[in-house]
Amino acid sequence: MSDNLVRVAVDQELCIGGGICEMLEPEVFELDDDVVISSVISNGLLPRNRAEVVVDRCPGQAIAIVEENLDKER
Amino acid sequence: MRSTVDMAPSAVVETPNVTDPSLYLQGIPHGRLAQLRAIGGLAWHPYEDGGFWAVTRHAEARYVSRNPELFSSAIGHTNLWDLEADALEARRSLIDTDAPDHTRLRRLVAGAFTPKNIRRWEQVVREITIELLDEFVVQGGGDWVDMVAAPMPIQVILTMLGVPIEDSNYLVELSNYLVEGTGDAQSIPPDAFGNTTELRLLPFNSPASHALFEYGEGMRQQRRHDPQDDLVSHLVQAEYEGERFSLSEYRNMFHLLVFAGNETTRTALSHGAMALAANPHEWRRVLDDPSMIESATEEILRWATPVMHMRRTATTDTELAGTEIAEGDKVVMWYASANRDEAVFEDPFRFDVGRADNEHFAFGGGGPHLCLGAFLARLEVTVLLEEMAKRSLCLEQTTEPVRARSNFVHGVLSVGMQPRSDR
Repeated sequence: MSDNLVRVAVDQELCIGGGICEMLEPEVFELDDDVVISSVISNGLLPRNRAEVVVDRCPGQAIAIVEENLDKER
Repeated sequence: MRSTVDMAPSAVVETPNVTDPSLYLQGIPHGRLAQLRAIGGLAWHPYEDGGFWAVTRHAEARYVSRNPELFSSAIGHTNLWDLEADALEARRSLIDTDAPDHTRLRRLVAGAFTPKNIRRWEQVVREITIELLDEFVVQGGGDWVDMVAAPMPIQVILTMLGVPIEDSNYLVELSNYLVEGTGDAQSIPPDAFGNTTELRLLPFNSPASHALFEYGEGMRQQRRHDPQDDLVSHLVQAEYEGERFSLSEYRNMFHLLVFAGNETTRTALSHGAMALAANPHEWRRVLDDPSMIESATEEILRWATPVMHMRRTATTDTELAGTEIAEGDKVVMWYASANRDEAVFEDPFRFDVGRADNEHFAFGGGGPHLCLGAFLARLEVTVLLEEMAKRSLCLEQTTEPVRARSNFVHGVLSVGMQPRSDR
Protein backbone atom coordinates (compact mmCIF):
# COMPACT_ATOMS: atom_id res chain seq x y z
CA MET A 1 0.00 0.00 0.00
CA SER A 2 1.85 3.04 -1.28
CA ASP A 3 -0.10 5.59 0.74
CA ASN A 4 0.34 4.07 4.20
CA LEU A 5 1.48 6.72 6.64
CA VAL A 6 5.10 6.64 7.73
CA ARG A 7 7.15 8.92 9.96
CA VAL A 8 10.21 10.74 8.60
CA ALA A 9 13.16 12.25 10.44
CA VAL A 10 16.14 14.43 9.52
CA ASP A 11 19.69 13.54 10.49
CA GLN A 12 20.96 17.05 11.21
CA GLU A 13 24.60 15.97 10.96
CA LEU A 14 24.05 15.00 7.32
CA CYS A 15 21.72 17.88 6.36
CA ILE A 16 23.36 20.31 3.91
CA GLY A 17 20.54 22.84 4.02
CA GLY A 18 19.64 22.37 0.36
CA GLY A 19 15.97 23.08 1.06
CA ILE A 20 14.58 20.39 -1.25
CA CYS A 21 12.51 18.85 1.58
CA GLU A 22 10.89 22.19 2.38
CA MET A 23 10.14 22.72 -1.30
CA LEU A 24 8.54 19.27 -1.68
CA GLU A 25 6.77 19.01 1.71
CA PRO A 26 6.49 22.45 3.33
CA GLU A 27 3.99 21.17 5.91
CA VAL A 28 6.52 18.70 7.27
CA PHE A 29 9.98 20.25 6.86
CA GLU A 30 11.36 23.67 7.57
CA LEU A 31 14.86 25.01 7.12
CA ASP A 32 16.15 27.11 9.98
CA ASP A 33 17.50 30.26 8.33
CA ASP A 34 20.24 30.83 10.89
CA VAL A 35 21.90 27.44 11.07
CA VAL A 36 20.54 26.33 7.66
CA ILE A 37 19.56 22.90 8.88
CA SER A 38 16.20 21.26 8.26
CA SER A 39 13.85 20.06 10.97
CA VAL A 40 10.56 18.22 11.03
CA ILE A 41 7.96 20.79 12.10
CA SER A 42 4.85 18.59 12.22
CA ASN A 43 4.23 15.12 13.55
CA GLY A 44 6.44 13.98 10.67
CA LEU A 45 3.79 11.83 9.04
CA LEU A 46 3.65 11.42 5.28
CA PRO A 47 2.09 8.93 2.90
CA ARG A 48 4.76 6.38 2.05
CA ASN A 49 4.99 7.29 -1.65
CA ARG A 50 5.62 10.98 -0.85
CA ALA A 51 8.05 10.11 1.93
CA GLU A 52 10.02 7.96 -0.50
CA VAL A 53 10.33 10.85 -2.96
CA VAL A 54 11.64 13.25 -0.35
CA VAL A 55 14.06 10.62 1.04
CA ASP A 56 15.32 9.96 -2.48
CA ARG A 57 15.70 13.63 -3.46
CA CYS A 58 17.46 14.83 -0.33
CA PRO A 59 20.90 15.94 -1.57
CA GLY A 60 22.54 15.11 1.76
CA GLN A 61 20.85 11.70 2.15
CA ALA A 62 19.77 13.05 5.54
CA ILE A 63 16.11 12.04 5.58
CA ALA A 64 14.91 8.59 6.58
CA ILE A 65 11.67 6.79 7.22
CA VAL A 66 11.86 5.91 10.92
CA GLU A 67 8.44 4.33 11.56
CA GLU A 68 6.11 2.43 9.27
CA ASN A 69 2.37 1.74 9.07
CA LEU A 70 1.11 4.54 11.27
CA ASP A 71 -2.36 4.79 9.74
CA LYS A 72 -4.11 4.47 13.07
CA GLU A 73 -2.51 7.73 14.27
CA ARG A 74 -4.31 9.72 11.62
CA MET B 1 24.04 -2.79 -22.98
CA ARG B 2 25.00 -3.96 -19.52
CA SER B 3 28.73 -3.77 -19.27
CA THR B 4 31.16 -5.74 -17.22
CA VAL B 5 34.78 -5.16 -16.36
CA ASP B 6 35.90 -7.99 -18.62
CA MET B 7 34.38 -6.41 -21.71
CA ALA B 8 36.75 -4.95 -24.26
CA PRO B 9 38.25 -1.76 -22.82
CA SER B 10 36.27 1.28 -23.85
CA ALA B 11 39.39 2.67 -25.54
CA VAL B 12 38.70 0.41 -28.53
CA VAL B 13 35.24 1.91 -28.92
CA GLU B 14 35.24 5.07 -30.99
CA THR B 15 34.40 7.79 -28.44
CA PRO B 16 32.53 10.69 -30.02
CA ASN B 17 34.15 13.99 -29.06
CA VAL B 18 31.94 16.26 -26.96
CA THR B 19 34.51 18.79 -25.75
CA ASP B 20 35.33 20.68 -28.95
CA PRO B 21 33.87 24.12 -28.08
CA SER B 22 33.02 24.86 -31.70
CA LEU B 23 30.46 22.02 -31.67
CA TYR B 24 28.42 24.07 -29.23
CA LEU B 25 27.97 26.93 -31.69
CA GLN B 26 25.26 24.68 -33.18
CA GLY B 27 23.86 23.73 -29.77
CA ILE B 28 24.52 20.83 -27.43
CA PRO B 29 25.79 17.81 -29.45
CA HIS B 30 22.89 15.67 -28.27
CA GLY B 31 23.50 12.98 -30.88
CA ARG B 32 27.03 12.40 -29.62
CA LEU B 33 25.94 12.47 -25.98
CA ALA B 34 23.24 9.89 -26.79
CA GLN B 35 25.97 7.68 -28.30
CA LEU B 36 27.97 8.03 -25.09
CA ARG B 37 24.92 7.13 -22.99
CA ALA B 38 24.46 4.00 -25.06
CA ILE B 39 28.02 2.77 -24.46
CA GLY B 40 28.09 0.18 -21.68
CA GLY B 41 30.05 1.29 -18.63
CA LEU B 42 31.72 4.69 -18.78
CA ALA B 43 33.38 6.01 -21.91
CA TRP B 44 36.99 7.21 -21.72
CA HIS B 45 37.08 10.58 -23.47
CA PRO B 46 40.48 11.90 -24.61
CA TYR B 47 41.19 15.47 -23.55
CA GLU B 48 44.39 17.45 -24.08
CA ASP B 49 47.24 15.08 -23.12
CA GLY B 50 45.05 12.86 -20.95
CA GLY B 51 41.36 12.23 -20.71
CA PHE B 52 38.38 11.71 -18.43
CA TRP B 53 35.59 9.27 -17.72
CA ALA B 54 32.43 10.64 -19.34
CA VAL B 55 29.48 10.11 -17.02
CA THR B 56 26.51 10.72 -19.26
CA ARG B 57 23.63 8.77 -17.71
CA HIS B 58 21.38 10.21 -14.99
CA ALA B 59 21.86 7.36 -12.51
CA GLU B 60 25.65 7.54 -12.55
CA ALA B 61 25.83 11.35 -12.52
CA ARG B 62 23.62 11.19 -9.44
CA TYR B 63 25.96 8.65 -7.83
CA VAL B 64 29.08 10.73 -8.48
CA SER B 65 27.36 13.87 -7.16
CA ARG B 66 26.26 12.17 -3.99
CA ASN B 67 29.52 10.44 -3.13
CA PRO B 68 31.93 13.35 -2.61
CA GLU B 69 34.27 11.22 -0.50
CA LEU B 70 34.95 9.12 -3.62
CA PHE B 71 34.80 11.97 -6.12
CA SER B 72 36.54 15.13 -4.92
CA SER B 73 35.88 18.74 -5.93
CA ALA B 74 39.05 20.03 -4.31
CA ILE B 75 41.65 18.06 -6.31
CA GLY B 76 42.89 19.37 -9.67
CA HIS B 77 39.95 21.57 -10.68
CA THR B 78 36.21 21.23 -11.27
CA ASN B 79 36.71 22.13 -14.93
CA LEU B 80 38.16 19.73 -17.49
CA TRP B 81 41.73 21.01 -17.24
CA ASP B 82 43.94 20.89 -14.15
CA LEU B 83 45.13 24.08 -12.50
CA GLU B 84 48.59 24.42 -11.00
CA ALA B 85 48.51 24.19 -7.21
CA ASP B 86 49.04 27.91 -6.55
CA ALA B 87 46.40 28.90 -9.11
CA LEU B 88 43.91 26.45 -7.63
CA GLU B 89 44.51 27.93 -4.17
CA ALA B 90 44.15 31.53 -5.35
CA ARG B 91 40.97 30.75 -7.32
CA ARG B 92 39.38 28.31 -4.91
CA SER B 93 35.68 29.01 -4.34
CA LEU B 94 32.84 27.09 -2.73
CA ILE B 95 32.70 25.01 -5.92
CA ASP B 96 36.27 23.70 -5.59
CA THR B 97 36.18 22.54 -1.97
CA ASP B 98 35.39 19.34 -0.10
CA ALA B 99 34.16 18.88 3.46
CA PRO B 100 35.00 20.20 6.01
CA ASP B 101 36.02 23.45 4.24
CA HIS B 102 33.01 23.23 1.98
CA THR B 103 30.60 22.72 4.87
CA ARG B 104 32.02 25.73 6.69
CA LEU B 105 31.94 28.03 3.64
CA ARG B 106 28.48 26.90 2.62
CA ARG B 107 27.03 27.41 6.08
CA LEU B 108 28.46 30.95 6.09
CA VAL B 109 26.43 31.94 3.06
CA ALA B 110 23.57 29.44 2.70
CA GLY B 111 21.23 31.18 5.14
CA ALA B 112 20.65 33.91 2.56
CA PHE B 113 19.50 31.38 -0.06
CA THR B 114 16.93 29.31 1.83
CA PRO B 115 13.45 29.13 0.28
CA LYS B 116 12.02 31.55 2.87
CA ASN B 117 14.77 34.13 2.57
CA ILE B 118 14.66 34.00 -1.21
CA ARG B 119 10.90 34.63 -1.13
CA ARG B 120 11.66 37.96 0.58
CA TRP B 121 13.13 39.12 -2.73
CA GLU B 122 10.07 38.25 -4.80
CA GLN B 123 8.83 41.85 -5.03
CA VAL B 124 12.25 43.07 -6.13
CA VAL B 125 12.41 40.38 -8.82
CA ARG B 126 8.89 41.25 -9.94
CA GLU B 127 9.50 45.00 -10.22
CA ILE B 128 12.66 44.46 -12.26
CA THR B 129 10.88 41.95 -14.49
CA ILE B 130 7.86 44.21 -15.07
CA GLU B 131 10.04 47.11 -16.12
CA LEU B 132 12.06 45.01 -18.58
CA LEU B 133 9.05 43.18 -20.04
CA ASP B 134 7.06 46.39 -20.49
CA GLU B 135 9.97 47.97 -22.33
CA PHE B 136 10.33 44.85 -24.48
CA VAL B 137 6.66 45.08 -25.47
CA VAL B 138 6.77 48.86 -26.07
CA GLN B 139 9.79 48.44 -28.33
CA GLY B 140 8.03 45.65 -30.23
CA GLY B 141 10.75 43.19 -29.29
CA GLY B 142 14.44 43.00 -30.07
CA ASP B 143 17.35 41.03 -28.67
CA TRP B 144 15.82 39.00 -25.84
CA VAL B 145 19.19 38.44 -24.16
CA ASP B 146 20.00 42.15 -24.10
CA MET B 147 16.53 43.33 -23.17
CA VAL B 148 15.36 40.71 -20.65
CA ALA B 149 17.44 37.59 -20.04
CA ALA B 150 20.71 39.33 -19.13
CA PRO B 151 19.55 42.42 -17.21
CA MET B 152 16.95 40.69 -15.05
CA PRO B 153 19.18 38.33 -13.06
CA ILE B 154 22.12 40.74 -12.87
CA GLN B 155 19.92 43.53 -11.52
CA VAL B 156 18.47 41.10 -8.99
CA ILE B 157 21.82 39.82 -7.69
CA LEU B 158 23.33 43.30 -7.56
CA THR B 159 20.31 44.52 -5.56
CA MET B 160 20.66 41.55 -3.22
CA LEU B 161 24.39 42.17 -2.75
CA GLY B 162 23.74 45.84 -2.06
CA VAL B 163 25.70 47.25 -5.01
CA PRO B 164 24.63 50.91 -5.47
CA ILE B 165 22.56 51.45 -8.59
CA GLU B 166 25.13 53.86 -10.10
CA ASP B 167 27.75 51.07 -10.12
CA SER B 168 25.57 48.42 -11.66
CA ASN B 169 26.63 49.14 -15.25
CA TYR B 170 30.28 48.69 -14.26
CA LEU B 171 29.53 45.35 -12.59
CA VAL B 172 27.48 44.22 -15.60
CA GLU B 173 30.44 45.09 -17.81
CA LEU B 174 32.85 43.10 -15.62
CA SER B 175 30.47 40.20 -15.50
CA ASN B 176 30.16 40.14 -19.28
CA TYR B 177 33.95 39.94 -19.60
CA LEU B 178 33.87 36.94 -17.27
CA VAL B 179 31.29 35.23 -19.48
CA GLU B 180 33.69 35.83 -22.36
CA GLY B 181 36.43 34.22 -20.24
CA THR B 182 34.53 30.91 -20.12
CA GLY B 183 35.16 30.58 -23.86
CA ASP B 184 38.62 30.93 -25.34
CA ALA B 185 38.54 34.52 -26.55
CA GLN B 186 39.37 37.48 -24.31
CA SER B 187 38.76 40.89 -25.80
CA ILE B 188 40.58 42.83 -23.07
CA PRO B 189 44.37 43.01 -22.47
CA PRO B 190 45.94 41.31 -19.41
CA ASP B 191 46.56 44.66 -17.72
CA ALA B 192 42.97 45.90 -18.13
CA PHE B 193 41.45 47.47 -14.99
CA GLY B 194 44.97 48.01 -13.61
CA ASN B 195 45.50 44.27 -13.21
CA THR B 196 49.02 43.16 -12.30
CA THR B 197 48.14 39.59 -11.21
CA GLU B 198 49.17 36.72 -13.47
CA LEU B 199 46.02 35.73 -15.36
CA ARG B 200 46.34 32.05 -14.43
CA LEU B 201 45.76 33.05 -10.80
CA LEU B 202 42.44 34.73 -11.63
CA PRO B 203 39.05 33.05 -12.14
CA PHE B 204 38.39 32.53 -15.88
CA ASN B 205 41.93 33.84 -16.48
CA SER B 206 40.28 37.22 -16.76
CA PRO B 207 41.58 40.64 -15.67
CA ALA B 208 37.91 41.45 -14.99
CA SER B 209 38.20 39.06 -12.04
CA HIS B 210 40.87 41.34 -10.56
CA ALA B 211 38.51 44.31 -10.90
CA LEU B 212 35.69 42.35 -9.31
CA PHE B 213 37.91 41.30 -6.41
CA GLU B 214 38.85 44.95 -5.86
CA TYR B 215 35.26 46.09 -6.00
CA GLY B 216 34.16 43.36 -3.59
CA GLU B 217 36.96 44.32 -1.19
CA GLY B 218 35.87 47.97 -1.25
CA MET B 219 32.32 46.93 -0.37
CA ARG B 220 33.61 44.69 2.40
CA GLN B 221 35.51 47.55 4.02
CA GLN B 222 32.51 49.84 3.76
CA ARG B 223 29.98 47.32 5.13
CA ARG B 224 32.24 46.44 8.03
CA HIS B 225 31.73 49.92 9.42
CA ASP B 226 28.22 50.45 8.17
CA PRO B 227 26.28 47.18 7.84
CA GLN B 228 23.11 47.23 5.72
CA ASP B 229 20.36 44.70 5.09
CA ASP B 230 22.20 43.17 2.14
CA LEU B 231 24.19 40.12 1.18
CA VAL B 232 27.65 41.70 1.44
CA SER B 233 26.88 42.76 5.04
CA HIS B 234 25.69 39.20 5.66
CA LEU B 235 28.98 37.82 4.31
CA VAL B 236 31.02 40.26 6.37
CA GLN B 237 29.20 39.36 9.58
CA ALA B 238 28.63 35.65 8.93
CA GLU B 239 30.14 33.39 11.49
CA TYR B 240 29.99 29.62 11.73
CA GLU B 241 31.37 27.94 14.81
CA GLY B 242 33.38 31.07 15.59
CA GLU B 243 34.96 31.30 12.12
CA ARG B 244 34.54 33.92 9.42
CA PHE B 245 35.56 34.16 5.78
CA SER B 246 39.25 34.69 5.08
CA LEU B 247 39.96 37.50 2.60
CA SER B 248 40.57 35.05 -0.24
CA GLU B 249 37.40 33.13 0.61
CA TYR B 250 35.36 36.34 0.72
CA ARG B 251 36.72 37.57 -2.63
CA ASN B 252 36.02 34.31 -4.36
CA MET B 253 32.54 34.14 -2.81
CA PHE B 254 31.70 37.68 -3.95
CA HIS B 255 33.01 36.79 -7.40
CA LEU B 256 31.02 33.56 -7.52
CA LEU B 257 27.80 35.31 -6.52
CA VAL B 258 28.18 38.00 -9.17
CA PHE B 259 29.12 35.54 -11.89
CA ALA B 260 26.70 32.74 -11.07
CA GLY B 261 23.92 35.23 -10.38
CA ASN B 262 24.41 36.63 -13.85
CA GLU B 263 25.39 33.96 -16.33
CA THR B 264 23.34 30.93 -15.38
CA THR B 265 19.88 32.43 -15.00
CA ARG B 266 20.47 34.46 -18.16
CA THR B 267 20.94 31.15 -19.93
CA ALA B 268 17.79 29.65 -18.42
CA LEU B 269 15.70 32.68 -19.43
CA SER B 270 17.13 32.62 -22.96
CA HIS B 271 16.53 28.94 -23.60
CA GLY B 272 13.17 29.22 -21.85
CA ALA B 273 12.04 31.94 -24.25
CA MET B 274 13.28 29.93 -27.24
CA ALA B 275 11.44 26.83 -26.03
CA LEU B 276 8.19 28.74 -25.48
CA ALA B 277 8.47 30.37 -28.92
CA ALA B 278 9.15 27.02 -30.58
CA ASN B 279 6.32 25.28 -28.70
CA PRO B 280 3.39 27.74 -28.70
CA HIS B 281 0.94 24.97 -27.75
CA GLU B 282 2.95 24.36 -24.56
CA TRP B 283 2.82 28.05 -23.64
CA ARG B 284 -0.91 27.95 -24.43
CA ARG B 285 -1.29 25.20 -21.80
CA VAL B 286 0.30 27.52 -19.23
CA LEU B 287 -1.88 30.49 -20.25
CA ASP B 288 -4.99 28.31 -19.93
CA ASP B 289 -3.90 27.00 -16.53
CA PRO B 290 -1.37 29.20 -14.70
CA SER B 291 -1.04 26.56 -11.97
CA MET B 292 1.29 24.89 -14.50
CA ILE B 293 3.90 27.63 -14.02
CA GLU B 294 5.61 25.55 -11.34
CA SER B 295 6.13 22.51 -13.56
CA ALA B 296 6.90 24.77 -16.55
CA THR B 297 9.69 26.38 -14.51
CA GLU B 298 11.25 22.98 -13.81
CA GLU B 299 10.92 21.97 -17.46
CA ILE B 300 12.65 25.18 -18.59
CA LEU B 301 15.48 24.42 -16.16
CA ARG B 302 15.81 20.86 -17.51
CA TRP B 303 15.63 22.14 -21.07
CA ALA B 304 18.21 24.89 -20.56
CA THR B 305 20.85 23.04 -18.48
CA PRO B 306 22.82 26.30 -18.04
CA VAL B 307 25.93 24.49 -16.75
CA MET B 308 26.55 21.50 -18.99
CA HIS B 309 29.06 19.57 -16.92
CA MET B 310 31.14 19.52 -13.76
CA ARG B 311 34.23 17.52 -13.08
CA ARG B 312 35.31 15.50 -10.05
CA THR B 313 38.53 13.61 -9.36
CA ALA B 314 38.59 10.09 -7.93
CA THR B 315 40.10 9.99 -4.44
CA THR B 316 40.66 6.24 -4.55
CA ASP B 317 40.42 3.26 -6.91
CA THR B 318 36.73 2.61 -7.35
CA GLU B 319 34.20 1.21 -9.79
CA LEU B 320 31.17 2.72 -11.49
CA ALA B 321 28.82 1.09 -14.00
CA GLY B 322 31.23 -1.84 -14.21
CA THR B 323 34.11 0.45 -15.17
CA GLU B 324 37.23 0.55 -13.02
CA ILE B 325 38.27 4.06 -12.09
CA ALA B 326 41.77 4.70 -10.76
CA GLU B 327 42.67 7.16 -8.01
CA GLY B 328 43.35 10.53 -9.63
CA ASP B 329 41.22 9.90 -12.72
CA LYS B 330 39.03 12.76 -13.90
CA VAL B 331 35.31 11.96 -13.80
CA VAL B 332 33.01 14.37 -15.64
CA MET B 333 29.27 14.50 -15.07
CA TRP B 334 27.49 15.64 -18.20
CA TYR B 335 24.30 17.24 -16.87
CA ALA B 336 23.36 18.17 -20.43
CA SER B 337 23.19 14.44 -21.19
CA ALA B 338 21.60 13.31 -17.90
CA ASN B 339 18.81 15.81 -18.55
CA ARG B 340 17.95 13.95 -21.77
CA ASP B 341 18.43 10.42 -20.40
CA GLU B 342 15.69 8.30 -21.92
CA ALA B 343 15.92 5.91 -18.95
CA VAL B 344 14.59 8.66 -16.65
CA PHE B 345 12.67 11.16 -18.78
CA GLU B 346 9.82 9.97 -20.96
CA ASP B 347 10.23 11.43 -24.44
CA PRO B 348 13.21 13.52 -23.23
CA PHE B 349 13.46 15.69 -26.33
CA ARG B 350 9.89 16.88 -25.92
CA PHE B 351 9.47 20.22 -24.12
CA ASP B 352 6.55 19.38 -21.82
CA VAL B 353 5.43 22.11 -19.39
CA GLY B 354 3.40 19.55 -17.46
CA ARG B 355 6.22 17.05 -16.98
CA ALA B 356 5.75 15.26 -13.66
CA ASP B 357 8.51 13.99 -11.41
CA ASN B 358 11.11 16.12 -13.18
CA GLU B 359 14.38 15.29 -11.41
CA HIS B 360 16.55 17.40 -13.67
CA PHE B 361 20.20 18.22 -13.00
CA ALA B 362 20.09 21.93 -13.84
CA PHE B 363 21.40 22.47 -10.30
CA GLY B 364 23.70 19.44 -10.32
CA GLY B 365 22.94 15.88 -9.35
CA GLY B 366 22.41 16.46 -5.63
CA GLY B 367 24.98 16.07 -2.90
CA PRO B 368 26.67 18.87 -1.00
CA HIS B 369 27.43 20.99 -4.08
CA LEU B 370 23.79 21.41 -5.04
CA CYS B 371 23.50 24.88 -6.60
CA LEU B 372 23.34 27.48 -3.84
CA GLY B 373 21.17 29.77 -5.97
CA ALA B 374 18.62 27.12 -6.95
CA PHE B 375 15.66 28.81 -5.25
CA LEU B 376 16.64 32.23 -6.56
CA ALA B 377 16.86 30.86 -10.10
CA ARG B 378 13.48 29.16 -9.70
CA LEU B 379 11.96 32.42 -8.42
CA GLU B 380 13.36 34.37 -11.37
CA VAL B 381 12.03 31.93 -13.97
CA THR B 382 8.66 31.69 -12.21
CA VAL B 383 8.18 35.46 -11.92
CA LEU B 384 9.05 35.91 -15.60
CA LEU B 385 6.45 33.29 -16.58
CA GLU B 386 3.85 34.85 -14.25
CA GLU B 387 4.35 38.30 -15.70
CA MET B 388 4.28 36.98 -19.26
CA ALA B 389 1.07 35.08 -18.47
CA LYS B 390 -0.57 38.19 -16.93
CA ARG B 391 0.03 39.98 -20.23
CA SER B 392 -0.93 36.93 -22.35
CA LEU B 393 2.43 37.62 -23.94
CA CYS B 394 3.46 35.09 -26.55
CA LEU B 395 6.92 35.15 -28.07
CA GLU B 396 7.94 34.73 -31.66
CA GLN B 397 11.58 34.08 -32.44
CA THR B 398 12.85 36.40 -35.16
CA THR B 399 16.53 35.44 -35.49
CA GLU B 400 18.69 32.38 -35.03
CA PRO B 401 20.41 32.39 -31.64
CA VAL B 402 24.12 33.23 -31.43
CA ARG B 403 25.48 30.66 -29.01
CA ALA B 404 28.51 30.78 -26.75
CA ARG B 405 31.55 28.87 -27.99
CA SER B 406 31.80 26.88 -24.79
CA ASN B 407 31.47 23.26 -23.73
CA PHE B 408 30.81 24.42 -20.15
CA VAL B 409 28.12 27.10 -20.10
CA HIS B 410 25.13 26.73 -22.43
CA GLY B 411 25.18 30.45 -23.15
CA VAL B 412 23.12 32.38 -25.68
CA LEU B 413 24.74 35.66 -26.71
CA SER B 414 21.74 36.98 -28.59
CA VAL B 415 18.39 35.86 -29.98
CA GLY B 416 15.70 38.02 -31.54
CA MET B 417 12.16 37.83 -30.14
CA GLN B 418 9.02 39.78 -30.76
CA PRO B 419 5.80 39.91 -28.77
CA ARG B 420 2.70 38.36 -30.24
CA SER B 421 -0.42 38.85 -28.18
CA ASP B 422 -3.02 36.52 -29.63
CA ARG B 423 -5.81 36.74 -27.15
